[in-house]
Amino acid sequence: MDVGEGSSQSNHALSNREETIQLGHTVLLKIPSGDIRTVKLEGNATIYLGKFGSFPTSELVGQPFGLTYEIVDKKLKVLPPRPMQEVEDTEATNELIHDGQFVQPLTLEEIETLKKSGLHASEIIKKQIEQHANYSLKTEYSKEKYKKRKEMKYSKSFSVIEPTMFNVCEYWFDKDQNRLRDIRPDALAQILNLANVRPGGRYLAVDDASGVVVSAVLDRLGGQGRLLTICDVDSPPAYPVMTQMNFRKEVTSIMSSLNWATADEDYTPILASTEPPSGKFKSDGQRTRLNKRKVASDLLMQTREELFAGEFDGLIVATEYDPYSILEKLFPYLGGSASIVVHSPYVQVVTNLQNQLRDIPGYLGPAVTEGFLRKYQVLPGRTHPMMNASGSGGFILHVIKIYDDESAVSVMQHRHRKKAKLGSEDVSARATPTGGAKEEEAQSAGASSATLTSIVDTDAGEVDKRTS
Amino acid sequence: MWSTAREIAAGDVVIAWMTRDIVQPLVVTPGKELNSKYGYYRHSELVGVPYGSKIRSRNGKGFIHLLRPTPELWTLALPHRTQILYLADIAFVVSWLDLKPGSNVIEAGTGSGSFSHSVARTIGPAGHLWSFEFHETRANKAKEEFSRHGMDGVVTLTHRNVCKDGFTVVDTVDAVFLDLPAPWDAVEHAKQALRKDRTTRICCFSPCMEQVLRTVSALNEAGFTEITMYETLLRPHQVDAAPPLTPVSVVGEKLKQSEARREEKRLRQIANARAGAERRAAKRKAEDDDTLEGTEGKRAKTAGQSAAAGTSVADAASAPVREVAQEAAGATKICLSKTFPEVRGHTSYLTFAVLLPATVMSTVLAVSTSEQPSTAVSAEPTPPPPSAVEVSDCDCCIFRGEGWRS
Repeated sequence: MDVGEGSSQSNHALSNREETIQLGHTVLLKIPSGDIRTVKLEGNATIYLGKFGSFPTSELVGQPFGLTYEIVDKKLKVLPPRPMQEVEDTEATNELIHDGQFVQPLTLEEIETLKKSGLHASEIIKKQIEQHANYSLKTEYSKEKYKKRKEMKYSKSFSVIEPTMFNVCEYWFDKDQNRLRDIRPDALAQILNLANVRPGGRYLAVDDASGVVVSAVLDRLGGQGRLLTICDVDSPPAYPVMTQMNFRKEVTSIMSSLNWATADEDYTPILASTEPPSGKFKSDGQRTRLNKRKVASDLLMQTREELFAGEFDGLIVATEYDPYSILEKLFPYLGGSASIVVHSPYVQVVTNLQNQLRDIPGYLGPAVTEGFLRKYQVLPGRTHPMMNASGSGGFILHVIKIYDDESAVSVMQHRHRKKAKLGSEDVSARATPTGGAKEEEAQSAGASSATLTSIVDTDAGEVDKRTS
Repeated sequence: MWSTAREIAAGDVVIAWMTRDIVQPLVVTPGKELNSKYGYYRHSELVGVPYGSKIRSRNGKGFIHLLRPTPELWTLALPHRTQILYLADIAFVVSWLDLKPGSNVIEAGTGSGSFSHSVARTIGPAGHLWSFEFHETRANKAKEEFSRHGMDGVVTLTHRNVCKDGFTVVDTVDAVFLDLPAPWDAVEHAKQALRKDRTTRICCFSPCMEQVLRTVSALNEAGFTEITMYETLLRPHQVDAAPPLTPVSVVGEKLKQSEARREEKRLRQIANARAGAERRAAKRKAEDDDTLEGTEGKRAKTAGQSAAAGTSVADAASAPVREVAQEAAGATKICLSKTFPEVRGHTSYLTFAVLLPATVMSTVLAVSTSEQPSTAVSAEPTPPPPSAVEVSDCDCCIFRGEGWRS
């Protein structure tokens, strides 16, 4: 509790990417219209942002992420951040403003000419306002919006979005949420926490969501620990989301990938021979080629062994395939108390899975949740939820792996006559394998109303204690 | 932090999961016993058991699960000293603030430590969390807890009122999280603590909109940008295995059959009544003149009987069909889900903002801001499409004049 203690511990840990923009980085540029362009920085190249202008790549190199620039004569000028403006309340209303009125005498051609003359965006907007017939009638709020709209059109500026995992996920989600299988930033955050991803941990991931899960896990591992991914292709999987993260090599080097064939314990991968057919290398080329092949196949066999040795700390699944089949396959490779997190854009997929898992010993407390996220516009005097919002960030099932003890019996056993066979029609018998205390309080697979209420309070740990 | 070994050792903090409702932390102390409704256990017998094991009670009645603590389980199990943060908010804040291994973070106040554990896990031994709590007893309790959980290297806890006295570090942290009644009083202090060589982030956690508005004002005045606000919640789903929904044709059949039975009963009663009447009449007649005129009544009775027999045969045939259908339904249950009837409706508003590096901030002072052209760095990162803009024009009237300057 000593004051200042720990300040010396301000660490020198290498961050996951370079602190400044470097050649080879893929950056996200936000243009005034709100659109985001993704640009790979190559040496001696020019970046074109359409009507917003162009500039040489070198202008960005060495700059920190997150700044806003104005393009002036192909040079970048850093724009200072603009504070929000308070808007004065006035008596103005839209009582006298009618749709379809001719209000702007300045024609499109005239505006184009002004733009070509190199006039600054703010000057053009000023001219438009001067000419606008009803501008003075507008409320101050409306005037602000008018100016903002015009600025979106004419200003030759852009911002470099800092490639945090949140920002990159949001960019992809807004661009095409199907490719992320609906993994919205809030869902991704929940997945990472529920899976207990921590530096030094060892995780399994099945990511058919463009690599958003893989990127996020790597971001949270920070080059320490291990990530094994299992994919559905025979070459190293493409995880395109990772491109914008601009990870250092140390961050990604802890990841290896298998596919559903090579991850099969009963299958022996067909590996091409690494020995020359004649017993002797015919050329240096052949030697290098075969050595390379040997390194690759050794690595594959090592990765397989590592998977089969098990004791992984967690499993994250975001897949188009049957999650139950994946859990069946990978469950043996998880350590005790490991977290399993399955995300799906469809509620049926996770609820069916929950229904399957609650009959199986070894899976503790499967719970299904759906995230709700609402973003607000916060402007002085104009704070309200955004008019457009995302409908769904998908559904998450979380469950914990346990080592079962078949001899353990519930304290309530005298109430629930134990039925021997799984899959029997009797509802109480279905719950018996996981049974016991759980069955008594919350877990009975049947739908008695008492059982349901007890789950209500507890699922996902959301006991309501924050009523204020 | 907590043990990462495969097996439980003496002195480990473990989570004893009895039911979904009852999740308790436990320090494994040989010599001690755990005695509960769910059985009777000796701590010494828990040593050496793998994490994640189901353990049966010594008396054979009941069992518990011994789990490795995670911040998420801790949130369920922790002793509440204050209102605490839950998964949805914690996860979202950690993600927006871009916390990861090696991050330096400030948190105020510590409260019950729900958020602290999650942050400590994510930033790891290479990062550092400075946690501040103004309530002395709570601070001491939290400090004990952090020590017991092996977090001393990662967390520095200070008993201090940060709104009055500020933070203990300057130009050091990547992110600040304020869960205070008046976060606006700590905004300037937070700015001091944030490092100036790169972009840093802040989050203020407040349940009331009035607090948000004051916070936003303070953040804006202090030079923070990209001010955004979110609300996030979890909706738990209840999953039921139920027989397939019955088609109305089945209901219709049932109704038809009961209608037929009713009709049959009515006819039988009419027939019976008639037969009775005839019998009585015949009896009377027989009493009057003992002749063979009762045959007609006899015939009527037999006709009624055969009709009744016909319907009961049909009824008997349809009954097994229904039973079979119900049995099949029982075998193939369908899986249904719905949101729980009562869920948390609100926790707090999460107000976020960014502080740009000092090199950029210094230019702000040099330039008169009011005349600057607008740029994409604005308080409204995704401008709504024009149509929405017009609609919101009216909506703004509702909000206008409320609380902003109060």
